[in-house]
Amino acid sequence: MARPVIAKEVFFCFHVLLFFSIRRWLTLQMKSELMLLLTDARGKEMIRQVRFELTFFALNPKLNVVAPWREWDITGREDAIEYAKKHNVPVPVTKKSIYSRDGNLWHLSHEGDILEDPANEPKKDMYMLTVDPEDAPNQPEYVEIGIVSGLPVSVNGKELSPASLVSELNQIGGRNGIGRIDMVENRLVGMKSRGVYETPGGTILFTAAGELESLTLDRETIQTKDSLALKYAELVYAGRWFDPLRESLDAFMEKITETTTGSVTLKLYKGSISVTSRKSPYSLYRQDISSFESGDIYDQADAAGFIRLYGLPMRVRAMLEKGL
Amino acid sequence: MDNSTSKSTSEATNERGLRGKLKKVVLAYSGGLDTSVIVPWLRENYGCEVVCFTGDVGQGIKELEGLEEKAKASGACQLVVKDLKEEFVRDYIFPCLRAGTIYERKYLLGTSMARPVIAKNMFRDYGVIYSSNRLWWMLPKKLEPMPSLMDAQEKEMTRHVRFELTFFALDPKLNVVAPWREWDIRDPANEPKKDMYMLTVDPEDAPNEPEYLEIGIVSGLPVSINGKELSPASLLSELNQIGGRHGIGRVDMVENRLVGMKSRGVYETPGGTILFTAVQELESLTLDRETMQVKDSLALKYAELVYAGRWFDPLRESLDAFMKNITKTTTGSVTLKLYKGSVTVTSRTSPFSLYRQDISSFESGEIYDQADAAGFIRLYGLPMRVRAMLEKGI
Repeated sequence: MARPVIAKEVFFCFHVLLFFSIRRWLTLQMKSELMLLLTDARGKEMIRQVRFELTFFALNPKLNVVAPWREWDITGREDAIEYAKKHNVPVPVTKKSIYSRDGNLWHLSHEGDILEDPANEPKKDMYMLTVDPEDAPNQPEYVEIGIVSGLPVSVNGKELSPASLVSELNQIGGRNGIGRIDMVENRLVGMKSRGVYETPGGTILFTAAGELESLTLDRETIQTKDSLALKYAELVYAGRWFDPLRESLDAFMEKITETTTGSVTLKLYKGSISVTSRKSPYSLYRQDISSFESGDIYDQADAAGFIRLYGLPMRVRAMLEKGL
Repeated sequence: MDNSTSKSTSEATNERGLRGKLKKVVLAYSGGLDTSVIVPWLRENYGCEVVCFTGDVGQGIKELEGLEEKAKASGACQLVVKDLKEEFVRDYIFPCLRAGTIYERKYLLGTSMARPVIAKNMFRDYGVIYSSNRLWWMLPKKLEPMPSLMDAQEKEMTRHVRFELTFFALDPKLNVVAPWREWDIRDPANEPKKDMYMLTVDPEDAPNEPEYLEIGIVSGLPVSINGKELSPASLLSELNQIGGRHGIGRVDMVENRLVGMKSRGVYETPGGTILFTAVQELESLTLDRETMQVKDSLALKYAELVYAGRWFDPLRESLDAFMKNITKTTTGSVTLKLYKGSVTVTSRTSPFSLYRQDISSFESGEIYDQADAAGFIRLYGLPMRVRAMLEKGI
């Protein structure tokens, strides 16, 4: 999700942006014919490039892309350092990290080193945003998330801006060891890669929104929404943020979650989240209907007719098979 | 509570026409309040004998103890208890596990899977089936005399319409308590009480040391725990123990019932949760991208069908054929770490793994040529460029 927002900002701000690190640099020179320099296409990192480039394509199809990484002879970290020294470029003194990491407000990812073998458990000291669940507090922590039309607006009753809200939940989630994900994923470019993600605040928010939806969305809606969400994820993963398909799916999502307003209380404990309460003024859950006693709205006797008709296709099929 | 005073027009059916014509009925019996009440009601209103049938689907000794006395005390002439555990796990749970079916994001379909195995066995043994609720399902054309025990074949089931299973799924009171438990707690704003749980320990009281567990899987189905091969039911039973003591598998949800209302329930599925995690982790090695996307999409449909009681629907059966085929190479082993209510993966290996360290690594290799990336991006992004050109009037 970070790539499109960076690409768009760069595009519209007409800045020359020089960003140098041992492993990656991005240069944008804004003129009438735009030249875009983008590097870091190693292996699976190409997806980063795809996400940037697709965004640029969508915004200006005439952009030329220059990607040194695809052309030069530098094959690794050591070569890069040597090249930098030869050209008197100061090499940033950073603590050598054996992992390749990418972080933003939403998550921190780790790849490389022992993680490259999916049979290996990650080392305890690799993690940075979250505490090890075994070291998390022995007392659970309750957190209340306020949601309006599908989007979170408050934490424990305090309204916060989007970024502050995520940041706050990263703190809360982090100290309880929430949001560690270890997976082998299929990259767009075809190979599998193993990565570990820390998404403390995001995990809390996904859980909260999902829980509230269980009150506000009916059955058909949840089924369709979940099915479309799979596609939405594929598009975002593939860098197709500005694709009209993604935008249309988003219009659907915005509309369908209009009434997903209310609050959810979650219990955080040593790496796991469980829901302890959900409330909504638009809840479709009615205790009087759900209850096992007969009521005015739900008449048990209707069930006979319902079953007969719901099962009619199956009965017809059985009759066919039996030659009836 | 009496059917005869129902206001529904659908009451004008064959059903009451059968009164006095039945000699014996078989009742799916759990020993709960409703099934106990149905027995005398049946005898009084239909003048027939009642045979109580209970499927042992792993609900536990406590549920089965004293059941015969209870059944007879309510007027049944006989109680039949049939051990369905292996069939249940092997033919119902494992296919769902292989398909990755989860209903509405959380429910592992415990109750939904138990109904078909019970119904099928009742048909297999008796040929006719009645529910424990006040609703009856009758044969569409004529009432067969009861076939003798064991002479009905599987296909006989289709003679009688199969959607009794649908019916079971609709019956909120047919309380099949399986290797999980289902609790009704009405207000979704309330947290469940700590003492309600029975299969799992509270995560806060679970051991302070994590436990590592290795699950061996062959073609999408689990076969061993920590190297020891076990039958389907034994395997699940063992994992229920292990998972239970670490507080694994508690699910609290508000779900959409088939009949239209929402209901709130809490489920404990310790072993199942461990297995679902293990199978999925192994699939991340053995299934490619397109496959996973299609499988996950179909799994949603599969879950809906199972939830709706459509186990014997050809659609479900066809989805299962797909799932069986696509998971042929999902063989290997996964190590999981269990700790205070959560399951995390620590290792996955497979002889059919599509993950290659030499390609995935950051360095260049022979199979993956960096220069290909330029061409790939240009072509992959071509539709977007064309669209942008259209918008810019180029």
